[in-house]
Amino acid sequence: MIRFGLRLALANGREALLRFVVIAVAVALGTGLLLATTAGVRALDAQVGRGAWLRGQQAPGGPAADPVVWAGREDFFGGKSIWRIDVGLKGANPPAVPGIPRLPAPGQYYVSPALHDLIATHPADQLAARFPGHEAGIIDENALESPDSLVAVIGRTPGEVGGIPRAHEVTAVSTSPQKIPTAAMDLVLSVVAGGLLFPLLVFVGTATRLSATRREQRFAAMRLIGATPRQVTQLAAVESGAAAVAGTIAGFALFPALRAAMAAVPLTTERFFPADLSPGLPIAVLVALGVPLGAIAAAALAMRRVRISPLGVARQVTPKPPRAWRLIPVVAGLVELAYFVGRKPETSSGQTAAFLPGFLITMVGLVIAGPWITMVGARLMARHARRLPTLVAARRLADNPQAAFRAISGVMLALFVVSVATGVITTMHFERGVRYGDLAAVTLEQHLGPEGTLPDDVSDRLRHVQGVTFALVLHDNPDDGPASPSSIVACADLARIPQYGTCAPGAEYAQIWSNLVGFDRTRTGTGTATVWPTAPVTAAQVTALPLDSVVVGLDGSAAAHERARTAMGLAYPDYEVPALTDLERGSNSRTQMALFQRLADVIMLFSLPIAGCSLAVSVAAGIADRKRPFSLLRLTGVPLRALRRVVALESAVPLLAVAVLAAVTGFAAAQLFLRAQMGYTLAAPDWSYYALAGLGLAVSLAIIAATLPLLSRITGPETARNE
Amino acid sequence: MSAVIEARDIELSFGETAALRGATFDAGPGEIVAVMGPSGSGKTTLLHCLAGILVPSAGEVRFDGQRIDGLNEHQRSTLRRERFGFVFQFGQLVPELTVEENVALPLLLGGSRRGEALREARRWLDRLGLAGMEGRRSGELSGGQAQRVALARGMINRPRVLFADEPTGSLDSLTGEQVMDLMVAAAREHGTTVVLVTHEPRVAVYADREVIVRDGRVHALAAS
Repeated sequence: MIRFGLRLALANGREALLRFVVIAVAVALGTGLLLATTAGVRALDAQVGRGAWLRGQQAPGGPAADPVVWAGREDFFGGKSIWRIDVGLKGANPPAVPGIPRLPAPGQYYVSPALHDLIATHPADQLAARFPGHEAGIIDENALESPDSLVAVIGRTPGEVGGIPRAHEVTAVSTSPQKIPTAAMDLVLSVVAGGLLFPLLVFVGTATRLSATRREQRFAAMRLIGATPRQVTQLAAVESGAAAVAGTIAGFALFPALRAAMAAVPLTTERFFPADLSPGLPIAVLVALGVPLGAIAAAALAMRRVRISPLGVARQVTPKPPRAWRLIPVVAGLVELAYFVGRKPETSSGQTAAFLPGFLITMVGLVIAGPWITMVGARLMARHARRLPTLVAARRLADNPQAAFRAISGVMLALFVVSVATGVITTMHFERGVRYGDLAAVTLEQHLGPEGTLPDDVSDRLRHVQGVTFALVLHDNPDDGPASPSSIVACADLARIPQYGTCAPGAEYAQIWSNLVGFDRTRTGTGTATVWPTAPVTAAQVTALPLDSVVVGLDGSAAAHERARTAMGLAYPDYEVPALTDLERGSNSRTQMALFQRLADVIMLFSLPIAGCSLAVSVAAGIADRKRPFSLLRLTGVPLRALRRVVALESAVPLLAVAVLAAVTGFAAAQLFLRAQMGYTLAAPDWSYYALAGLGLAVSLAIIAATLPLLSRITGPETARNE
Repeated sequence: MSAVIEARDIELSFGETAALRGATFDAGPGEIVAVMGPSGSGKTTLLHCLAGILVPSAGEVRFDGQRIDGLNEHQRSTLRRERFGFVFQFGQLVPELTVEENVALPLLLGGSRRGEALREARRWLDRLGLAGMEGRRSGELSGGQAQRVALARGMINRPRVLFADEPTGSLDSLTGEQVMDLMVAAAREHGTTVVLVTHEPRVAVYADREVIVRDGRVHALAAS
């Protein structure tokens, strides 16, 4: 029976071969994506594991060693984050750490390969000067999260390191991964995998409908001469299983290419090591066996639904008309997002747990609601139809809205994901756009700790750094309420930099934000026009106030930027957070936003062609299945253009309807998220969104149009002849 | 003479429409019985019930004295494969298979070895004047050739009963006669009972006996 099934699957003319190839290609892509996704999740775990020691956590029950004072903190160079570890050895037998032979003594440092390259290719006053002493060696890659990791382990005296905030002593460094919240990224990867796999599943499902009528006729003929239902099911399972096996093998062949692509893209802000991108043997075996078995099970299940009797399809389990309850999940998803407006969880993991499920439920809800919306739309269309093609298309859509929706559901999901991502990212750019203006980009601020001190001549020293246009030391504002600017500036100093605003006439000191610009849309100055509120303090009082920060203006060059940061770090070596511009301060969240936008684009660019193929296959299968009634209609005088209109309406109407629905729901979800998380109101997306969405729809409509010539070809008079 | 295939008072409805209303029928060993009647009278439904394709809602169907209307789907499939043969008007050949594979299909489904089944298929094709057409597909055959292929397939497992539903319905009169000659000759040679559904009197003349179905009931007509 297996051989016979293979014979039917492989040597049955163009339609069957096309069906085989389409299923195999879809399964190959799905298998490759499954492997890539699981490899991504494992690589994420591996990344966390490799970098566990960088946090300097005390290992329970580690080998006895002399204590070391450990301080880890972030630094920046050229927009990239550097993880800098200062260590102060308290004995000759320091604890061991991965990747370096021994923790460095004062005057030595170890750096990662990527940081070594940066140091080697930039002047010392921009980067190397931040690390006292000389390079003792390079950290082994096996001890780093990524080939891009910028890490430095710097030896200093215990007293120097002890002055850095969060410095602590360890006698054994833990290499066990912390419970770092990778759940968020796992969930994002799951959404991405879902967004990519769903159109593929739809594609496979649609492909199985190719030549379905002929297949059913063939099975009926076999049943007539005595094939049992079980034999027919076995044949169908062998046909699907063969395509799935071929697809699975091709998917494994495809995986190295996907792995290379994943290793080249910094999905988590840093690239993965290619060796970490492996699904693991158990998962690989599970996929290798599970995908074909799943396909076989699906084929067997489909045969249970459509029992082939000797007289043809005796009992097609006609799906019941969709009911209005199908709207509940999508509404529930939006309600879940709305619930958190004004109730934003405090922690980032809490926010992830709050918002991502809301998006996920809404997304799944759209898929569930789609057939009902298609049916309602079709009934409305039928009620108002004035022409025959519209009526025929509407009736057919209303009779089986599930089938009509299935072919376009991939397009809908892609549009939803892109609408959410675009809505959120566009709004964040809009809301934060003012403070990311030129002024903020060239204002480098070093915030000081509560008891932070600076050398008396720091302003003079900083002013002499090449590329620095001014340097100011700001004091803490004693009237530092939630709405009050954080610092005090002397009006004489502010008068030298009028581009940052002015004092009120007669004022001696003004209240100002420590970056001289502001921190969000509602608390931001508008440059020259800003008149900062007067600070009711005298010169004597200001001198007694604690220091708040040191701020420098830059000429806009990258070299000046890093030279100034290096100089500020040397002036205030106990910093917890390095000198940053506003752009850099939000760089992590922006990097993450860019990542999400990139992932959304990947979903869109991948799923649109797949969804387009589903649509084409679905339209072609629909035409092929009805070639005889269509050809009879043509013989009775129905013009070809009327039939074309029927086919076009059947596909285009639900496509456009669900596209609008997906975009509206996506923007609604984005608005709720923005309101709950940041208090923002959705900003209109820019032209690129409309261009991408319009292009997607245009391509889909073009695909529908491309299938229409098939109608004239296969509905000729010869088709109407009896056998 | 005991009947090979018989129906007693069988009834079957499709929704509100009664197709058979207490139909009774029998055919003896090697007998050729023509079932005639106007369109919609229930003659094809009677054939489907006799062949175990449909199950009557009342009455009984027996083959070799054993009731078959109570058999399950699997048992009825096996019965059709091993004891019955079929020649229908059209739609019976599997278009994806070659002519010889179509003929060998009942044997292949029954578990015979491929080589053996194909050899037997070729013997039947030779006999029915189709030598040289083994590798063709059904779409490459004329109507008469397709019916002869169907006849070869119907006879390959030497059935006790051959069910023929309008076997010449899509053929011209000359080709129809050729097909009927071959069918009757093969049936006579193997002692196969033939239930021949037709509305054409010129086809019915090949039968030993004719019955007519009217309004779901069977009426004896005449012996040929």
